[in-house]
Amino acid sequence: MRHSFALKAESYELWLSPGQRDYRLHLGGEVIAPVAFSHHLGGSGILEIANETVPVRFAIDGDVLHLHVRGRTHILRYRDRLSEFDLSEVLASHDAARAPMPGVVVAINVSRGDAVSRGATLMLVESMKLEFVVRAPRGGVVDRVHFEVGQSFEQGAALVTFSDEGR
Amino acid sequence: MQKLPFDTVLIANRGEIAVRIIKTLRKLGLRSAIVYHEVDAATLAVSMADTAIAIEGSSPIAAYLDAEQIIASARRANVGALHPGYGFLSESPEFARAVSNACIAFVGPTPESIELMGDKIRARKFVQQAGFLVAPSAVEEDDPETFASRARDLGLPLLVKPSAGGGGKGIQIVRDLGALDDAIVQARREGLRYFGDGRLYVERCFEKPRHIEVQVLGDFFGNVVHLFERECSVQRRFQKIIEETPSPALSANLQKRVCEMAVGIARSANYRNAGTVEFIFDGHEFHFLEMNTRLQVEHPVTEMVTGIDLVAEQLHVAAGYELTLSQSDIVSNGHAIEARLYAEAPEREYAPTTGKILMLEYPEYEGVRIDSGIVQGQKISTAFDPMLAKIVVHSATRREAALKAAHVMRQLVLLGCETNADFLARLLMDDTFLSGQIHTGYLDENPHLAVGQCGSDLPAILAAAALLTKPVRDAADNVPKLHAELGKWRN
Repeated sequence: MRHSFALKAESYELWLSPGQRDYRLHLGGEVIAPVAFSHHLGGSGILEIANETVPVRFAIDGDVLHLHVRGRTHILRYRDRLSEFDLSEVLASHDAARAPMPGVVVAINVSRGDAVSRGATLMLVESMKLEFVVRAPRGGVVDRVHFEVGQSFEQGAALVTFSDEGR
Repeated sequence: MQKLPFDTVLIANRGEIAVRIIKTLRKLGLRSAIVYHEVDAATLAVSMADTAIAIEGSSPIAAYLDAEQIIASARRANVGALHPGYGFLSESPEFARAVSNACIAFVGPTPESIELMGDKIRARKFVQQAGFLVAPSAVEEDDPETFASRARDLGLPLLVKPSAGGGGKGIQIVRDLGALDDAIVQARREGLRYFGDGRLYVERCFEKPRHIEVQVLGDFFGNVVHLFERECSVQRRFQKIIEETPSPALSANLQKRVCEMAVGIARSANYRNAGTVEFIFDGHEFHFLEMNTRLQVEHPVTEMVTGIDLVAEQLHVAAGYELTLSQSDIVSNGHAIEARLYAEAPEREYAPTTGKILMLEYPEYEGVRIDSGIVQGQKISTAFDPMLAKIVVHSATRREAALKAAHVMRQLVLLGCETNADFLARLLMDDTFLSGQIHTGYLDENPHLAVGQCGSDLPAILAAAALLTKPVRDAADNVPKLHAELGKWRN
């Protein structure tokens, strides 16, 4: 069975198969073996990969893995089939203007029931010292504005959602 | 150092700077009191302080800006002095005045100095009249009618700045005269919003300008000394991310010239306590930009090369004592570099990031100082500035300091919130940075530096991820059983 991990904008498909006392990593047509991981206390361990040993620090938060490997930190998300499907459904529908970064609402230019065209200014938001405009990802009728001026939001939050009328 | 006339000092700040101030208070045998908003209840500064007093506000920032509540807390804690740190109320003349009126020593300059230097236009006029060079500019209020045309006459590129500005807020860069009117509208709107002041001025931007600033210290007896310069040319969005001393751009003569200019400016302003005079260096001349009337974020590099504790000096001056340092006592040794660790994503235009710190480990090395106010388990939100910690390295040479700082960036482990650590490491090892040929446009000219590549580490990263993810391991572990079953069936 293939598994999928997202790292930055990329998605990687891989799976493990059993080796003699360890595992083999199948990654994009390649087989890397042997691989094994020995845990130590408190989020640290040693990765063995093709007879090399690599110290790893890690923290796991749900399906998000934070790894410190060879002096650099990487954030990966494990995507099981079901949630991946749900996420792609939501993103593909373009029914919401989402926050590209966490921030605070500075001004709101639309309200429920407004018909907007694609690219219309919906909100002015601020993330620390940076101001930016949130634009409509598609034309439609504003179904809901999810935040008020002064409220803060997290990355990925739906700021304004649209209904199908006027599509 | 002489015994101070107060035994408790209130810190009207949070995070790393509050921790840093508490360390000096402990060293001097003084007690620390701190005010905090509940979101900061579990932070290092609050746990280190001898007394902690909760303050409230409509937002966490509003609490730290509430002068009345803070002064009432200072009274309750019976403090003799108040240190404002940087940001928040540190440059509010009204606050400094209210603190003094409450018979508490304000650890900073006089309200008059804060007032003079806080108004960037007044400060420039003052400095110009005192006989020093200021950056070519057009001030709107001199004649609002001709503002745009006077701005155009300066020549491109231009910077449109709010008069009441600071910290890079509201600054707009204009590379094409057609964009000037929009930039004026935008800068005015941001000036009004951040500072409640829509006044503007426009400054000519130099080719490859370098940001050079000088640390000064004055007392109530008319003594003013400098603690040499710092260069802060590596900036993103007009905000510093790497600072160092000495500046690799300056010969001994130029260094002497800029330090003497700073002392001259501070002296004519009758400046007391610690301050920083900022200049733009065009390769030949130093143009006064502004004076910051507080302890600056980047003050540790100065402390590393001079061995002087600036917070201790600030307290000494605030107590009304004469400076014990004379200019000839102050010597700079070696090179120090500070890199600011931010919760931000350089490859997404330095957008701030959030998260919870799941693991935090700082390496310890000789000559490395890490000023940090965060602890494991702490949530990083966008409620405050995204700075997490400052990594400061002191070495014999600039190259050694930069490479050591890059090494520390790679050794420190902060998991749970995306940071700019890897970007800083790349930057500190970049050939252009190491050559010293930096200027304020350096990062904009080298956008590739913001982008990290996993490269040859990718198999190790994915192998670790696979082995640490239970469903992935389980799927592999279940295969042998399946094989065994298949084997039976075949037999």
